[in-house]
Amino acid sequence: MRFNSLAFRLFATAAAWTLLVLPIAGFIIYRLYRDDVQTSFDGQLLKLVNAITVDSMGSSGDAQPLPPSNLYEPLFEVTHSGWYWQITPLSPANGRKLVSPSLATWSLPSPAAKSISPDETGARWLNVKGPKGEPLRMVEVIDSLGHEPGKPTYSIIVAGPQDWLDHLVVNFRYRLTTALALAGLGLVAVTLFQVRFGLLPLRQIEGGLANIRNGTASTLEGELPAEIAPLQSELNALIRSNQAIVDRARTQVGNLAHALKTPLAVIANEVRADKSGLGEKIIEQTESMKQSVTRYLDRARMAARVGVIGRVTPVAPVIEPLVRTLQRIHQEKGVVINVDCPTEARFSGEKQDLEEMLGNLLDNACKWARREVYLKVEVPPSTSRARNRRIAITVADDGPGLTDEQRARIGKRGLRLDETKPGSGLGLSIVMELAHSYGGTCDLARAKEGGLAVHLNLPAG
Amino acid sequence: MRVLVVEDDKDLNRQLVAALGDAGYAVDTAFDGEEGYFLGDTEPYDIVILDIGLPKMDGISILEQWRRSDRKMPVIILTARDRWSDKVAGMDAGADDYVAKPFHMEELLARVRAQVRRASGHAKSEIECGPLRLDTKTARVTCDGQQIRLTSHEYRLLAYLMHHNGRVVSRTELVEHLYEQDFDRDSNTIEVFIGRLRKKIPVDVIETVRGLGYRLSETPSPG
Repeated sequence: MRFNSLAFRLFATAAAWTLLVLPIAGFIIYRLYRDDVQTSFDGQLLKLVNAITVDSMGSSGDAQPLPPSNLYEPLFEVTHSGWYWQITPLSPANGRKLVSPSLATWSLPSPAAKSISPDETGARWLNVKGPKGEPLRMVEVIDSLGHEPGKPTYSIIVAGPQDWLDHLVVNFRYRLTTALALAGLGLVAVTLFQVRFGLLPLRQIEGGLANIRNGTASTLEGELPAEIAPLQSELNALIRSNQAIVDRARTQVGNLAHALKTPLAVIANEVRADKSGLGEKIIEQTESMKQSVTRYLDRARMAARVGVIGRVTPVAPVIEPLVRTLQRIHQEKGVVINVDCPTEARFSGEKQDLEEMLGNLLDNACKWARREVYLKVEVPPSTSRARNRRIAITVADDGPGLTDEQRARIGKRGLRLDETKPGSGLGLSIVMELAHSYGGTCDLARAKEGGLAVHLNLPAG
Repeated sequence: MRVLVVEDDKDLNRQLVAALGDAGYAVDTAFDGEEGYFLGDTEPYDIVILDIGLPKMDGISILEQWRRSDRKMPVIILTARDRWSDKVAGMDAGADDYVAKPFHMEELLARVRAQVRRASGHAKSEIECGPLRLDTKTARVTCDGQQIRLTSHEYRLLAYLMHHNGRVVSRTELVEHLYEQDFDRDSNTIEVFIGRLRKKIPVDVIETVRGLGYRLSETPSPG
C-alpha cells in the first residue's frame, strides 16, 4: 500500500480512529467497573457495621455492649484475616471494649479521631494499613447503647481487605485490555479488507485501461458501481471522440490527396508530349512532387495514429477481400494466392494500416509471381506473455526474386528495380515505414519457392 | 471501340479524350455522375473510365447501379483514393481494374487495351485471324508479316471485327461501337470503309453475311 493512495487514506483514518477510541472506551469501562466494585464492597461493609451496631447496642437496659452474633463471616475468627470489627467506648471512655478474634492484639484507629466527617448515613470511611501492612477499608458508626441519646456512646468499626478488591480490579483490567486489543486488531483487519473490497472497482478500471492501451479492448467494459459509472461513460465517450478525431483527420488527408493528385496528373500528362528540356524538367518535378505528396500523406496518416488508444484488427477478415480484389486485378495472369491464416490471428493496430501493408506486399508478389503467391500468418502460442506477443506474416512468390545486393538497396523510398512493371515504386517502403511505426520489422529474404519472401513481424492483439 | 470517360476535372478529361482518341478509340465524355450514369446505361460502350469523386453521383454508386441493371462492360476506376480499402470497395462494386492518380497515360492505355481484349475473350495482346495479325499495344495490323497502312477509321473498324472474329457483327453494332455519340450515323459509311479495307487485305477475309452484317473468318471460304 503506497502512502499516496486512496487505500492508504481510508485505511489510515479508520485505523487512527480505532486506536484513539478503543483506549478511551477501555478507560471509561475500567473506571465504571472499579467504582461499581468499590460501591458494592462498601455496601457490604456498611451492612456488617449496621448488623454489629444493632446486635451489640441492642437494648438500653444493658450497661455494656454485647458481643455481636450471627455475622456469618468466619474470617472474623481467623487471626489477621483482613476482616475485623472493633467496638470502642467513647464517653465514658472506661466502657467495655470488644474486638473480633481476628484483630488479636492490634487495634483499628478511629476515623472520627482523625476528624473525618460522616456521610449522609452517619458512616465515616477511611483507608488504612492493617497489621500485616495490607491495605484495609474501614467504616465507623457511632451509636449509644439502646440507640438512646444520653447513654454511653461507642465507636463501631468494621474493616475489610481492600487488596482483595484491588486484585479484582486488576484482574478485570487485564481481561478488558486483552479483549479490547483483540477487538482493535479485528477492526484493523476488517478495515483492510473493507478498503480492498471497496476499492476493487478501481482496480478493475486500472485493468480495463491497460486492456485498452494494449488493444485487447476498445472501451472500458464491466458493471461498475454507481459512484464511478459516470467516469466509465465519460472515459468511453473520450475514447470514441478520440477515434472520431483520428477518422476525421484521415478523411481530411484523403481529401487533400484527391485535391493534389488530380492536378498533378493533369500537369504530367500535359507536358508528356513536349520533348523539349522544359517538358522533361516538368515531368521530373511532378514525379518528385507526387512522391512527396504520397510520402507526407502517409506520414500524416501515421502521425494521426500515434498515441491513439489501441485498436485490434482480426487478420483473416482483412486478407479475404484483398485476395478477392487482387485475384481480380491479376485475373489475366491467373496467379493463385495461397492463404494460410489461423482465425485467431489478431493485429494490434489500425485495420487500414494492415490493409496497406498486406495489399502492397501481395500486389508486388502478384506482379512478380509466375503462378503462385504464398501468404502465411503465424501466431505465437497463447502461453507467451501478453505484452510482447507478435504475429509473423510472410508473403512469398515463385517469381525471379532478388539478388542479395538488390535486396539491400530496395526499400529506399521510391526506388524501383524494374521500370517495366507498373507501380509507383513506393509500395515496399510504405510497408517498411508502417511496420516500423508499430515497432515491428520488415525483412527481405529468398523464398524457398524461388522468389522474394517478405517477413513482417507485428504486435499481436 | 467506344470508350466512355467520366471525369469531372476538365483538364484531365480533355487529356484522356485526346490520348484515347489518338489510340484509335471513339470517345464519349461526361463531367458529372448523373450524365455519366445515363450514358453508360443507354449506350453500348466497350469500356468505361470512371472517376470516383464526382459531382451529383459518386462513381461507386454509378457502378453498382450499372451492374444491377446488368451492364457488363469493363470499367476501370480512376481515382486519387489509393488505399487498399478503396480499391477493395471499387472492385467489389464491380470494377475490373483500378488506376490511382497521378498515373502514366501509357499505363492507363495499356490497362484499357487489356480490358477490351479480355472482354472479347482474347488472352494475348496480339490477335490473329487468318493471315491478319493485330498488335493491340502498337495499334499495328500486319498481313502475312507485311504491315498494312490504315486510316484511323479503317483501323477502328478492322480492330473491332478482329476483337469479335468468328462472330457476325451487324452494321448497327459497328455504328454503335465505332463512332462517338454525336457522330452523324450513316450506316452507308460502314460499307464504304469495308470496301476500302477489302482493297488492303485479302478480299475474302471479311465475309458479308447477307441481311445480318459482317464476319471475319479465320479460314476464308474458297472462291
